[in-house]
Amino acid sequence: MSNLWFLYLFFSAILIFIGIYCLLTMRNLIKLFIAIEIISKGVSLVIVATGAVKHSLLLAQSLVITYIVVEVSLVATALALIINIYKKNKSLDVRLLSKLKG
Amino acid sequence: MILQIMLLCGLVIFAGLAILAKDLLKAALSLAVASLFLGIIFFRLSAPYAGVFEISVVAGLITVLFALTIALTRKDGEVKEARLVKIAFPLFFILFLIIDGLVMKSLLQKVPSLPAGPEGGTFGEVLWKQRTFDLVAQIGVILAGVLAVLALFRKKEEDKDE
Repeated sequence: MSNLWFLYLFFSAILIFIGIYCLLTMRNLIKLFIAIEIISKGVSLVIVATGAVKHSLLLAQSLVITYIVVEVSLVATALALIINIYKKNKSLDVRLLSKLKG
Repeated sequence: MILQIMLLCGLVIFAGLAILAKDLLKAALSLAVASLFLGIIFFRLSAPYAGVFEISVVAGLITVLFALTIALTRKDGEVKEARLVKIAFPLFFILFLIIDGLVMKSLLQKVPSLPAGPEGGTFGEVLWKQRTFDLVAQIGVILAGVLAVLALFRKKEEDKDE
């Protein structure tokens, strides 16, 4: 069972790496948000895999469902923000945001 | 075991495609396929409720939201990415694979985890009785999201009136 846990954690670490790499290097706002989604996939894989290995799958499932609901709310808000930023700047380039003055 | 590895490889490949694809719509669709793979993995891990939520909400609803946003911002929303990003990705990826393989096994033995033990009851009992506060928080988060979206779009209309 430990081998299986290793396998899932290994792959979820890869997913989190892909997401963080994209967050650090890309400039498109939507791409950055896709990266956040990929990281969240890695995290939910860790939760369910650990639940399966440690025999607390029911608790893990309920946590993942809560996590998915939070994710959906986050996506809706963030995409609305992205649309507003696009209407203002006419671009999705994240570097233009540094010109904003608060 | 082999099927599990294939599913996990598919998940990683489509996640990689989602960040490397030049077209945003293709990236969003790759993300949906990755979600589908994750949902199947959840089913294989005997977590059907999480799998259903993953496939219906993440692969379905979030993809629709992404496609909508991409359609609304497509006109001149293209951003040129640095060339080095795609060239350097395989290099960093292989480097990370090696580090991940070496570190993760020793990390698993060292990190303390909760004691393992069989849990009783059904999923409904756990969700509705043990984690009731989570459900209250979920309602709060959904309401906050709805209000945030309403506020973000209302502001624009007020600007027009002025």
